[in-house]
Amino acid sequence: MILVLVLAALVASAALAPFLERWLGRDAGWPLAAIFLVLAGVVASTGPQVVHHRPVLVQWPWLPTLDVVFALRLDGLSLLFALLILGVGALIMAYCTRYFSHGTHAGIYLLLTLFAASMLGLVLADDLVLLFLFWELTSVCSFFLIGNAGLAAAAPANRALLLTVMGGLGLLAAVVLVSVSAGTTQISVILRGFDWAAEPGFTALVAVLLIFAGFTKSAQVPFHFWLPDAMAASTPVSAYLHAATMVKAGVYLFMRFSPAFAGELVWTVPLVAGGLVTAIVGASLALKQHDLKALLAYSTVSQLGYLTALVGIGTPEALGAAALHTIAHALFKATLFMLVGIIDREAGSRDVRKLNGLWRVMPVTATLMGLAAMSLAGIPPALGFVSKEKIYASFVDFDGPEWVGWSLGGLAVVAAVLTFAYGVRLLHGAFGGPTVQRRLTEPSWPFRIPAAIASLAGIVLGIAVSTLSPLVEQVVLDTRLVRGDPHLELWPGLSPELVMSALTIAIGLWLFRARVPVDRWLQRRQLPFSGVGVFERCYDALVRAGGGVSALTRGLSPAVQVPPVVGSLLVLGAAGLWWGVPLAPRLPGASRVEDWIVVAVLAVSVLAITVTRSRVGAIGLLGVIGFVVAVWFLMLGAPDLALTQMLIEFLTVAVAVLALSRLPARFHPGGRLRSGAVAVVALAAGAGATALALAFTGRRGPSGVRDYFLEASKEETGGTNVVNTILVDFRALDTLGEVTVLVAVAVGIAALADGTPLLPGRLRSTGASPSGPIENRADNAIVLTVFGRLLAPVIIALSVYLLLRGHSAPGGGFIAALVAGAGIALAYVATPAPERVSRRWPSTALAGAGLTIAVVDGLVGLAGGSFLRPFHGEVEVLGVTLKGSTSLIFDVGVYLIVVGMVVTALRRLGSGLSADLARGGPGMSESGETSGTEHTDRNGGSE
Amino acid sequence: MTVAIGIGILVAGGVYLLLQRGLVRVTFGFVLLGHAANLLFLSAGGTRLREAAIVGTADPALMADPLPQAFVLTAIVITFGVTVYLFALAASRHGGDDDTERLP
Repeated sequence: MILVLVLAALVASAALAPFLERWLGRDAGWPLAAIFLVLAGVVASTGPQVVHHRPVLVQWPWLPTLDVVFALRLDGLSLLFALLILGVGALIMAYCTRYFSHGTHAGIYLLLTLFAASMLGLVLADDLVLLFLFWELTSVCSFFLIGNAGLAAAAPANRALLLTVMGGLGLLAAVVLVSVSAGTTQISVILRGFDWAAEPGFTALVAVLLIFAGFTKSAQVPFHFWLPDAMAASTPVSAYLHAATMVKAGVYLFMRFSPAFAGELVWTVPLVAGGLVTAIVGASLALKQHDLKALLAYSTVSQLGYLTALVGIGTPEALGAAALHTIAHALFKATLFMLVGIIDREAGSRDVRKLNGLWRVMPVTATLMGLAAMSLAGIPPALGFVSKEKIYASFVDFDGPEWVGWSLGGLAVVAAVLTFAYGVRLLHGAFGGPTVQRRLTEPSWPFRIPAAIASLAGIVLGIAVSTLSPLVEQVVLDTRLVRGDPHLELWPGLSPELVMSALTIAIGLWLFRARVPVDRWLQRRQLPFSGVGVFERCYDALVRAGGGVSALTRGLSPAVQVPPVVGSLLVLGAAGLWWGVPLAPRLPGASRVEDWIVVAVLAVSVLAITVTRSRVGAIGLLGVIGFVVAVWFLMLGAPDLALTQMLIEFLTVAVAVLALSRLPARFHPGGRLRSGAVAVVALAAGAGATALALAFTGRRGPSGVRDYFLEASKEETGGTNVVNTILVDFRALDTLGEVTVLVAVAVGIAALADGTPLLPGRLRSTGASPSGPIENRADNAIVLTVFGRLLAPVIIALSVYLLLRGHSAPGGGFIAALVAGAGIALAYVATPAPERVSRRWPSTALAGAGLTIAVVDGLVGLAGGSFLRPFHGEVEVLGVTLKGSTSLIFDVGVYLIVVGMVVTALRRLGSGLSADLARGGPGMSESGETSGTEHTDRNGGSE
Repeated sequence: MTVAIGIGILVAGGVYLLLQRGLVRVTFGFVLLGHAANLLFLSAGGTRLREAAIVGTADPALMADPLPQAFVLTAIVITFGVTVYLFALAASRHGGDDDTERLP
């Protein structure tokens, strides 16, 4: 429980941060630092329990169907990282108050606190899914925190995000593999109860995926370049995320999974090799930097390499050393970053070529820097000295051939020598030499205190290193499941490590003395490429390749888009045929004799619609096809579908007439070659579709879900029309999504008609004299007008009846609305002046109201436990029992949306039409608009 | 078998129209493809049992699968919505007519 409280407190503080910032300005960091400190105290108070092998646990069911538990677990390893996150976090928050100028920094405080919560969640998570979630959250926070630094930081933020998220995908793959294989997502159970040795191939795959994830996050070669790149962020962010905590998430992952993988070759070799390479490459790159912040960034890369290699060694001794060095590094690196930030702020530069002799004007800063650098370089009595001794010992005592151990030790010394050298370079570059900027002064104490605390802690803990013994011992127990005394002492007596340390310091000093030629030599060594450049090239190539693929199907005309899609589907289908797919035998009885009649009519009408050049003819044929399909629906036992389809056909014709009266009477001529080619593609697609339908349908009996709906419908919803109960009860959320599409269509049509005027109407003369009976439009419409006025209200009343009965007989919101739409269309056509009348009809507003009703009904359902859950009840009115369900309200929403869409279509597509026609065609009213058309059949296109 | 053939006919006609120049014909092709997809859905539910899924009107053992029907019902209406939108697009004054390959 205590863990959830700490996490919740951090999230709450993040929410509070903007308000604190508005109230206190940049000083908002002080209360946040206090909160961090209190939370660190709370976490530390569990220490005595944790180091006695009793981890703190929380388990809340989260996604029970996936067996995912909101499980937190605080063991020694988690405690170590949690204290670093909260402790360093408190220092950084305090540092922020003076680092930032006056101004708005609400975003940075919010994000830093949110990051702390994510990072804490990451190290506390005892569930793989939770671990992944927090892992990604830290990446996202890092992205925003880097990007917060301004426009120049945009590209680095992107690179950091893409790389770490790429690693996150590796982690996700590992999470899925492990949880499927182990049958649980609980980390502590998986690490201890799963037989990792049973399947070496599987174990190796998981190990490689985890290593990939950790390498990207912890900036190991070859993914190291994002970290120096990320120095575009402000200094507190660099100090906190990209030095002390987030970049250690990879190392944490390696330590967390050590019980499963330590000692496995596939784990040890990449970690040790990658880690040592990173340690040496990072240190030598650090040695040639002029920017102090860049130097520190490469130093972090190098130190993370050390830690990775140590976890790779995998002995209890090495994991103890890794734990100790994690603490040491967090302290001295946070200090160094904070101090470099101070120098940057005070002296206005971080470049060693511009800084000179600052020790005279900033003696305290120089001293603090010196203490932290001692820890970095491994000079007694700093904590870094003790951890470096332990590191040497771990490499030398490698669990393998003796020469390997000594070689590893030798490489560790090389990295440490370089570390020593750049440590001195850091100090000398900033503080050595003659003082140039004599007017500089020390910054205010609040600015220096956080760095001072971390710096002094590095020395005090070095002297009193034995106080860390219980924690380190517990970490070893948690990561290697063996108990051992870590022997933490400042002065262990004469040992090989001590000789190595002395050697390190001696060679390091020599390197410093020879710094001028060394620097010149290093500056000449330039790789012909940079990590960032390679990344950008790969990224660009990827984007270009994606563009190339999408260009295949990206054209203004479907004739450009469709053939590649049809072609690739056919290739896929052919491949499926080639390799064969195991299929059950087809069940008999799927076809009936009368079906063949439908197929025959369908074949004829489809053939006709493809060859006709007349628009009106095509509309008629489209209607025929729709009716044939509707009849088939009826034959297949779907009366609701048949009704819907028939109504749709009616409305489609009504709308199509409005649209087509603005277009030429005949379709565009298509060349013979084109028609032939298109016919080939079309026939291939048709054959493919038939083959697909034959292959994948008609091979099984009734599904279980069908049986469920048929059985449960009446009982659970009170409705007997199962299709309707599925729409408004069982799967109402799907329906809500679908009717939202219709609202979008209505709005789209309205926007389209408002944005670009429609083509004017085209008067089609029959050739008879204008005064004759056929050409006299007003008189001809009189029957329709009279009947339309009489029928329209009846039809709309009928639609309301269909809406109400939909739950238990064919009907429901969709069908009722289409009936109403038909009535409205009739009324529209029957009115002599449809435009004047229909202007008053609500259209998109109707659709919007319907959507609102549907959503409100859904929210009411929340009272019953879930969104859109209907309530059923019976009401007695005047002795008659009325059964009702709130799903009817949802159906009313659907009804209004569909009606709204139909009205929108009629109103917008009909707009201006009657005026155009009354004026006798477009040529008279808007000749300027249409004279450009090449089609000259506007008067002679009679059919 | 019959439904599969019907689907094939509709897809062939639909693709043929989809590859024409005028947006109206393209729209017609789209409608035919919609019919084909709807029939494929019903076919997936099985076409052996053909009684309407209305409780109390027939033997439940003979009733058709109502789930694909529910999918198809909304699909029909959405197809209509998109069709209407395409008609509006065809009738809007972008070029002189609905030619998709001679856009301004």
